[in-house]
Amino acid sequence: MKESADLMRDAADAVKLVAGLLRRGESGEAFRERTRTETWTASETGLLAPALAEESGTAVRIRREGSLLLVARSGAGPEALRDAVREAGRRAGNTPFFKAHRGTPPPAHPHGPEGPDEEEGHTAALAGAFARALPDPRGLSLSLEVARVVTERTVITPRALLRCGVRTRLVASGTIRRAGSERPFSFQSARPFGEAADALAAALREATRPVSGLPPATGPVDVVFSASAASAFWHEVVGHALEADAGDRGSVLSRVKGAAVGPAGLDVFDDPGRADLPGAYGVDDEGTLARVVPLLSGGVVTGLLSDRRSGAVDSNGHGRTSSFRRPPRARMANLVACAGDASLDELLDRCGDGIYVRDVAGGSADPESGRFGLLVSAADGVRRGRRGSPLAPFALTGEILAALASVESVWGREVLSATGLSVCIKEGDAVPVGGSAPALLVRGLVARAARR
Amino acid sequence: MTHGAGDGLFERVLDGASGDGAGAELYERRGTLLELIEDETGSTLLESHERGLALRLFKAGRSAFAAAGPERADSLPAEARRRLPRARARRGVRPGGLGPGEVAEHRPLADPPPPDAELARTLLTSFRQALTASGRGAVAVREVSVSLGERAERLATTSGRDATWGSRLATLVATVVGRSSAGRYSARVVGAASRPEELPVARLAHHAADRVLLPLQGRPFELTRADILLDALVASHLIGRLAPLFFGDDEEPLLSARTRDGRDAFASPLVSLVDDATAPGGLVRGVRDGEGTPQGRTCLVERGLPFGRLTDLAASGRLSRPPSGSAVRITWSAPPRIGVTNFFVDPLPGVSPLDLLGGVSRGLYAAVLLDRPEVDLSADTFRLVVAGYAVEKGRATERISEATVSGRLSDFLRGIAGIGDDLKFGLGGTGSAGSPTLLVPRWKTG
Repeated sequence: MKESADLMRDAADAVKLVAGLLRRGESGEAFRERTRTETWTASETGLLAPALAEESGTAVRIRREGSLLLVARSGAGPEALRDAVREAGRRAGNTPFFKAHRGTPPPAHPHGPEGPDEEEGHTAALAGAFARALPDPRGLSLSLEVARVVTERTVITPRALLRCGVRTRLVASGTIRRAGSERPFSFQSARPFGEAADALAAALREATRPVSGLPPATGPVDVVFSASAASAFWHEVVGHALEADAGDRGSVLSRVKGAAVGPAGLDVFDDPGRADLPGAYGVDDEGTLARVVPLLSGGVVTGLLSDRRSGAVDSNGHGRTSSFRRPPRARMANLVACAGDASLDELLDRCGDGIYVRDVAGGSADPESGRFGLLVSAADGVRRGRRGSPLAPFALTGEILAALASVESVWGREVLSATGLSVCIKEGDAVPVGGSAPALLVRGLVARAARR
Repeated sequence: MTHGAGDGLFERVLDGASGDGAGAELYERRGTLLELIEDETGSTLLESHERGLALRLFKAGRSAFAAAGPERADSLPAEARRRLPRARARRGVRPGGLGPGEVAEHRPLADPPPPDAELARTLLTSFRQALTASGRGAVAVREVSVSLGERAERLATTSGRDATWGSRLATLVATVVGRSSAGRYSARVVGAASRPEELPVARLAHHAADRVLLPLQGRPFELTRADILLDALVASHLIGRLAPLFFGDDEEPLLSARTRDGRDAFASPLVSLVDDATAPGGLVRGVRDGEGTPQGRTCLVERGLPFGRLTDLAASGRLSRPPSGSAVRITWSAPPRIGVTNFFVDPLPGVSPLDLLGGVSRGLYAAVLLDRPEVDLSADTFRLVVAGYAVEKGRATERISEATVSGRLSDFLRGIAGIGDDLKFGLGGTGSAGSPTLLVPRWKTG
């Protein structure tokens, strides 16, 4: 979707409206969002039914001494903004100043912002991806929803109207059944559509392979994470623990700011500017310029991801929301870990007996207690430094500080983008995230049966 | 943006969609939602109003869907027409017509009234007070939110159906922390009701206190086999996960496999499973489903034997039976799909839970779930991690911090030897799931 001018067409009036709404001691902004979602339901036989949904909305937010008021309305035009400002003013006890509206007509999009040919091309590319992924679907049952989601956002502060940009992603989710077993499937890519469809085909092909092998024995185990899986590890272990809303006691990492928690030379930072990763943006959802935030520098806890409600620290451009109806929270964007100088074979050799994790399907973390878990979807056993037979899905759990202390002091030299990391859901709010990391070895994580 | 009832947009879009030999179904939703959240950083008040329209075109077994807000709704007929040739044909796909005794209402929608923030504040205060009493000072609230929603819906088809209806839902979600000399334990609890005044605030507070104090104050369960008494809310989570077995015609093979093509019972003869949009205590008070079909009671398992199915219009056509009114629209911007309203174990043959407890010689009363239940319908397995009380000779003796109840799901359902009369509902699937207390003798625990 090309950036449309109608989210910007009343820029001057909109800025005045927002400025007039706020009183001394208050901060706030308006937020506009337009989302276009092309969806296909799909089964093992290919694409079934196409659907289109276009939704736009406006939210006005007022913050005052730790409290937040958010008023949301359907529509992203001047009328929706005025209605939201009027209601926010009423609820906050303010009296916003309204100028007579000039009544700019909405721009016409008789065929939507994209032409029929472009959409036809997407359908053909996806159908091709399914055909390549499932050349012989016998014995398989798929129930999937595949969507191309285009989101455009702007923030109106009391000083300016800022474009957050247009983001496009290909998302797929659902279940795959084969011979009495069922497994969830999820995929997301922010790459151009053709490349994303190819990646989806590869992910589907991998996910529909029969799962051979048994899960590993439960208990402590040394784990080599592939470059892709390592991003999920850093996301749960460092990223969530350094989001600035981890409760009154903070997280196990924010409580030890300035302490060395990992090996010397280890740098982990969050970079919203990495346009090749799904979590990229230039301006966050509160109108703050996105910044690179070092979280671990040389193994030392150095930073915190913050939004405008974070209190003790100023926002560093990580206020993100899943939708105009939800308040922004301090969230990760793209977590990036620095390169080391070891090869994968060296890491496996150091591991000795353990597990090589190829892909992680999901994870969770409780930053306050420090517990975390990863759902491993693809892994191989490691015996005497060599990769062995594949393992059935299982879970890895651990404690954040102990896991960081157990990261081996050498790690991979090749930094790769994560394929499994896609959408991060926190308190029900889903935002796209990305990651890029080298392979690493962590000792003493705990393997246990996977939950469904 | 608020709109009056009579802006004519609905009629204009439906007119634009008619013709070309295609059938059309137009759906409109207007909703308001107020959510009040209190946490350690302060309070957040969210108030939103939405309006959306969704069009489906039908032709020769194909259907295409397009949805938009009022700004772009006029383009819906063109968008759906463009997609219709790309859809794959499937038997039974059609718009709904007027049913027996049904009349077309032709009633434009109006915006629901704005929700009451004061009522939300009162509910939050009541919950905090009830939690202080239930937790005896050992339980604190980390975050609590109340949301009050109301929506009005209209659906019309070119086959003559035109109906309007409305619904409400109130939810309370709390993250609470229990503290004792053994440490801290936090948990999230959710309560819901179809009306704010029916929110079970005191019951939820009691449940929240149990949820965080039992793991701190109890001891692990040591028996490897015991009589299991599942609290109604714990059982409702397990029961809710069975619902997909009854969805349309796609999942029929899975249910057939569970019952060996009807040679085995699905559950104990005490168990009847029902989906009922008008069930007392159910969180959904439905009148019509997402295709405008009138909703009612559908018996899915009768005394342990499979009986009915949940269907939308297309599945009912393929199964040659009347639609059960089970098409659910999660949002206005997504096509309807089959789901539940209030899906529950009928408590009609039930007895008092105290009578069930009296019949337990050595067992476990599972009072709360500590983790999301793990249920694999394909593999026919389940696993519940619970906390509760040890039971000896019909009396609860000591607190249990953690126990695992797991095994073959079909054996567990067939092993139900007693059900209570205390039907309780929780949010589940696309609606609510309910169960009374369930007793299963001599089951595997860990």
